[in-house]
Amino acid sequence: MKTDDRNINWVREPRLGLAGRSYLLLFVQGLTTTLRHFFSRKKTVQSPEERHEIPDPPIYRGVHRLNRDQRGRVKCVACFLCATACPADCIDIVAAESPWTDREKYPQSFTIDELRCIFCGMCEEACPVDAIELTSLYDLSGKSREEMIFDKEKLLSVYDQTKNTEPMITKRD
Amino acid sequence: MATIIIDNREIEIPAGRRLNGIEAARLVGVEIPHYCWHPGLSVAGSCRMCLVEVGTRDPKTGEIAMQPKLVPACNTIVADNMVIVTNSEKVARARAMVEEDLLLRHPIDCPICDKAGECLLQDYHFEYGQPERRADIRPFTSRRRDLGDVTLFVDRCVMCSRCVRFAREISGTCELMITGRGAREEIDVVAGFPLNNKLSGNVVDLCPVGALGDKDFLYRQRVWYLRRHRGVCTGCSTGCSIWIEENQDRVWRIKPRENPFVNKWWICNDGRYDYPHVHDPRRLTQPWGRETGITDTRDWIDLPKELNRSLGEAGRLAAVISPFLTVEEAYLLCKLIRGIDAEAPLVIGPVPEVGEEERFPGGFTIRAEKCPNRRGVEAVIAHFARRVATFDELLTELDQDALQGVWVSGGYKHEWIGQATAARFERLKLLVVQDLFPSPLSERATYLLPGAAYPERDGSYVNHADRLQSVRRAIRPPAGVRTEGSVCWELLGRKGLYNARAALDEIAREILYFSVAADTAPETGIDLKANLLAG
Amino acid sequence: MPPILESLLKIAVLIGGLMTAAAYLVLLERWIAAWVQDRLGPNRVGVPLTKIRLFGLGQPVADGGKFLTKGEFTPGHVDKILYFLAPMAIFVAAIAAFAVVPLGSVVLPASWGVGEPVRLAVAPGLDVGMLYIFAVGSVAVYGVVLGGWASNNKYSFFGAIRSSAQLISYELPLGLGILGVVLASGSLRLDNIIIEQARSGTWNALVQPLGFVVFCVAAFAEAGRLPFDLPEAEQELVGGYHTEYLGVKLMMYMVSEFLHMVLAAFLIVILFLGGWHFWGLTGSAEAVSWPVALLRAIVLLAKVMGAIFFFMLARWSWPRFRYDQLMEVAWKVMIPWGLINVVAVAAWMEYGVQLARPWNLSAAQGMAVVGWGVLLLCWLATTIIDPTASGNRPRRDLSANDNCLE
Repeated sequence: MKTDDRNINWVREPRLGLAGRSYLLLFVQGLTTTLRHFFSRKKTVQSPEERHEIPDPPIYRGVHRLNRDQRGRVKCVACFLCATACPADCIDIVAAESPWTDREKYPQSFTIDELRCIFCGMCEEACPVDAIELTSLYDLSGKSREEMIFDKEKLLSVYDQTKNTEPMITKRD
Repeated sequence: MATIIIDNREIEIPAGRRLNGIEAARLVGVEIPHYCWHPGLSVAGSCRMCLVEVGTRDPKTGEIAMQPKLVPACNTIVADNMVIVTNSEKVARARAMVEEDLLLRHPIDCPICDKAGECLLQDYHFEYGQPERRADIRPFTSRRRDLGDVTLFVDRCVMCSRCVRFAREISGTCELMITGRGAREEIDVVAGFPLNNKLSGNVVDLCPVGALGDKDFLYRQRVWYLRRHRGVCTGCSTGCSIWIEENQDRVWRIKPRENPFVNKWWICNDGRYDYPHVHDPRRLTQPWGRETGITDTRDWIDLPKELNRSLGEAGRLAAVISPFLTVEEAYLLCKLIRGIDAEAPLVIGPVPEVGEEERFPGGFTIRAEKCPNRRGVEAVIAHFARRVATFDELLTELDQDALQGVWVSGGYKHEWIGQATAARFERLKLLVVQDLFPSPLSERATYLLPGAAYPERDGSYVNHADRLQSVRRAIRPPAGVRTEGSVCWELLGRKGLYNARAALDEIAREILYFSVAADTAPETGIDLKANLLAG
Repeated sequence: MPPILESLLKIAVLIGGLMTAAAYLVLLERWIAAWVQDRLGPNRVGVPLTKIRLFGLGQPVADGGKFLTKGEFTPGHVDKILYFLAPMAIFVAAIAAFAVVPLGSVVLPASWGVGEPVRLAVAPGLDVGMLYIFAVGSVAVYGVVLGGWASNNKYSFFGAIRSSAQLISYELPLGLGILGVVLASGSLRLDNIIIEQARSGTWNALVQPLGFVVFCVAAFAEAGRLPFDLPEAEQELVGGYHTEYLGVKLMMYMVSEFLHMVLAAFLIVILFLGGWHFWGLTGSAEAVSWPVALLRAIVLLAKVMGAIFFFMLARWSWPRFRYDQLMEVAWKVMIPWGLINVVAVAAWMEYGVQLARPWNLSAAQGMAVVGWGVLLLCWLATTIIDPTASGNRPRRDLSANDNCLE
C-alpha cells in the first residue's frame, strides 16, 4: 500500500497548545487523579464472605440451565441452534426421537463444557423454545476438567435450583 | 434454431433441443423457483411456483404481445420468438401468494425439521415470500406417518407429488398416492402395501421440503454441519456418482450426484446405506507383524523398510489385487510386486456376484457384480502380466508350493474368505494382508496392514461401461490406517505424499486403455471405450 | 573486629535486607496499584493454617515459595548457556551496585570496645563511588540483551533491542545530571556528597533543579519503570525479554528490576535530596552519637521510601511513551538540558561569588536563583520549540512522489 492510496484516511494528531507541550499539565493531572483514587473508598467485595449483588439477574450471563416445561420434561427440542450459534463450540447435543407423543425430537444427551464456554449468551439468543438460559450464578468452580462438563441432568438441576429466584423468560409458549 | 427472450436477454437454443421455460432460463442464469418440476420426472404443473409471463414477438415488426395470464414455466416448451418475463411485479406477487398459501398450514417447526438449511420452502420464502404472516394459525407439530422405508411428516408436505411420480415412473412400484382433495390432500400408501423398494431413498432427496424423512438420517445431524464431497459408489459395478456428506470425518449420509452418463439423479438404497462399515469399531486400525511366531504391533515409520526387505528376501511372489482398489492403487501395487519379482503372477481378487441384475422402469440398473473396479484392475493387470490370473489359479499354485510370498489386498466390506481357503495360505514364507476387517486370512498374515474404506481413498474407478471416474477422499482414514495407495507409494520410494493424479497421469501414458484420462478429470467421468475402438 | 569479618557481616546484612525489601516492595507495589484502582489489594495471606491475616503481610512469602517450587522448565529452542547466564548477570549487577551506597552515616560503637567508627556501607571509602555505580549499572543491559537473545523468541528479542537502545540513550542524561552534583560537591564519594549538602544546609535539588529533573527522568528510564517500561510493555511484547523465563530465573529478573528501582531511589535521595540530612534534626555533618546515627539512617530510609512511593504512583499516573517519543525525549530534551545544567553549574562555580556579591546573596542562594532561572528558561524554550513533535511518520501533505516516502 502506497502512502497516497485513496483508501487511507489520514488522521493527524491534534496539535497541542503551550500548556500541553510543557507536559506540566499532564503531570499534575495524572498525579492528582491517582492520588484522588488512592484515598477514595474501595469498591472491592470481599468474596466469599460477602456476596456480590447482581442488579438485574435475568440479563446476567452466568452458569447455563436447561428449562423444564409444565410437565417437568426438558424443554429443549434438540434443534442444535445453540450449538450452531456457539462461538466457542462448547455445546454438544445428541438428538433422538422423543419418547413422548406430543413432541418430535428431544436431546438424548446435552452437554456444555463450562470451561470452553465464554458466556456470551448467544445460545440463549438462538434458542427458539427458550430452553437454554444463563442464570446469575457466577461462582463456578470445580476440581477437575470432567467435573466442569455439565450434562443434561446437571443443567436441569441448575434450573431446579434457580427457578424460584429467576423465573423463566418466555418469549413464546 | 430458436431465438427467445428471457428478461430482456436474447438467447438462441440449438435446433432439436426441447426445453421448458425453467431450463431455458437457466441458460441465461435466471433461476425460476419451482417445487413440483424435476428434470427426471414428468411435468405435473401443480405447485404454481414457476408462474411467469409469456408472450410472443412478431418476427417482422418486432412487436411483443404478452399473454394476459401467467403461465407455468415448467409446462411451457420454449419456441422461436417466445418472450418470458420472470422479474415483473406481477410474477413477484404471484410467487408471494403461492408462498403464503403453502405456509398457511405448514407447521413452522424448522428447528426440529431435518430439511432446515436445504429446504426450498425456506429458501423461496426468504427470496420471494412476504415478510409478514397474515394467517392466525399458530405453529404446530406435524403429524407423522410411517410409510415403510421412509417417514412422512404429513403437515409439512406442499403436495408437489414428486415422490408419487417417482414411485410410478422411476421405481415403477407405485406404492405412493395422494388421498383426499383440496386442502385435505395427503400423501399416503395403501394399508398393507408400504413403500418398500430398492430406490425408495430417492424420494427423500426429491422432497423439496421436510415432509419425507430418511429413517437412517432422521434427527441425527443438522444439514449445515455437513460438508459434501464428490464420490463414487462402490456398491456395484454401475459406479453411481454420489455426494458423500460428512462432519468431522464421520460420514452421515450419501446422496446421489447428478451424472447423465451413469445414474442420472438416482442411487439405490444399497449404495445409499453402504457406509456403516466405514465406522465399524471392528475395523483394523493398527499394523501388525509376526516374527518367529510372535505377533506384535508395528508403526508406520519403520514398517516400510521392513516390508521391502521381507519382500525382497521372500523368493517367488504373487499379488492379489482386490477389485475394490482404485486404478492407481492397483497400478502401484502391481508395479511394486513386479519391481521385486518380474515374473510374479498378478491375480484379481474374488469378484463378488450377488443375485441378478435389477433393472427399473426408469432405466436405473443395480448390477450383480458387487465391486466398483473389476474392469480397471483387470486392465492394469493385463498391462503388467498379459494374462489376468484368477483367484482359483492362485490357490492351485499355493497347493503346489510354487509361491513363497503373497501380497493380498482386501478392502471387502463383508466376510470374503473362508477358513478352508485361508488355510491354503498356511505354508507361505511371507503373507502380507491389507484389509478392512479381521478375517481367517488376516490371522495367518506375516504382516497385517489396515486398509482404507472407500470414502478415504483418492483415485479412479472404471465401471461396467468403461467409464472412469476420479474422486478425492471425503474423510481422513482413522488413526493408524493408511490407504493402500500411500503405502505402495512409499514402498516404491516415491517422493512426497501419495498423489493419485500424478499416478493416473503416469498410467495414462503407459497403458493405452487409460490414455484419454491424461490431464483431465471431468466430474461426470471419462468414457474409455472410445479409445478401445480406436485401439 | 577484623575488617574482613566486618565486610562479610555487612554484605550478609545488605543482601538479606535487600532481598526482603524487594519481596515486600512487590507487596507494596501491589497494594498501591490496588488502592489507586479503588481495590483493596492482597490482604488475605497471613500466618499459614490459621485465620490470622496480618493485612496480607504473608503474601511475599507465599509468592516466593511459589516461585521457588515452580517446575524448572527450560524451553527447547533457547541458547542454554546464555539463557542461564542472563538472569545471573543482571542480578549480580543489581546487587553489586549497592556496595558503595551509604545506608546512613557513621556509627561509633564505643561500647563494643572497637575504637574505629563503623561506616554503614559495604565499601565506604571508595573514592570513585559514582563511577563504580555507573560501571556496574551498565552490566544490567547485558542481562536484558542476553536474555532476549537467548530466548530465541521474537517478542523477547524486540524487548531486548528496545531495552539496549533505551538504556544506552538514557545513560547520557543520567551522567549529565550527576555531573552538576559532582562539580558542586567536588567529590565522587557518595558520603562526601551527603556531607557537603548537610554542611551547606541546601539540598542539591533546591539549587540544581534542572539537574534533578534530568536525573529523575533518566533514573526512571534506567530502572525501566513506567512510563518508560518499553522493554517489557506487556500489552505489546507479552513481557518482553523475560517472556520465556519462569521460576527462579524469572524471580531473579523481577528482583533485579526492583533493586534497580531501589538503587535509583537511593541515588535520587543521596545526590539531590540531602541523604540523611534533615534541617534541625540530624545535627551537623560531624556529630556522630548513637541516637543521631540511628536517626540519620531512619531519615535516609524514609526519604528512600518516599522516592519509591513516587516511583510506584508514577506507574499509574501517566501513560507509556511511544518509542519514538522515548528516544526524542532522551536526545532532544534531556541531553541538552543536562548539558545546560553542567555549563550553568560550572559557570556559577567560576564566577558565582563575584556575581552574587552586588545582590547581597549567599553562594547557595545565588546558585538556587540561577538554577531555577535556568530550569524555567529551558522548560519554556522546550515548550515553544517542541522538539519532540516533528514525528517521523509519513504525512499526506508531503507530495506522493517525494522519494523519502517510498
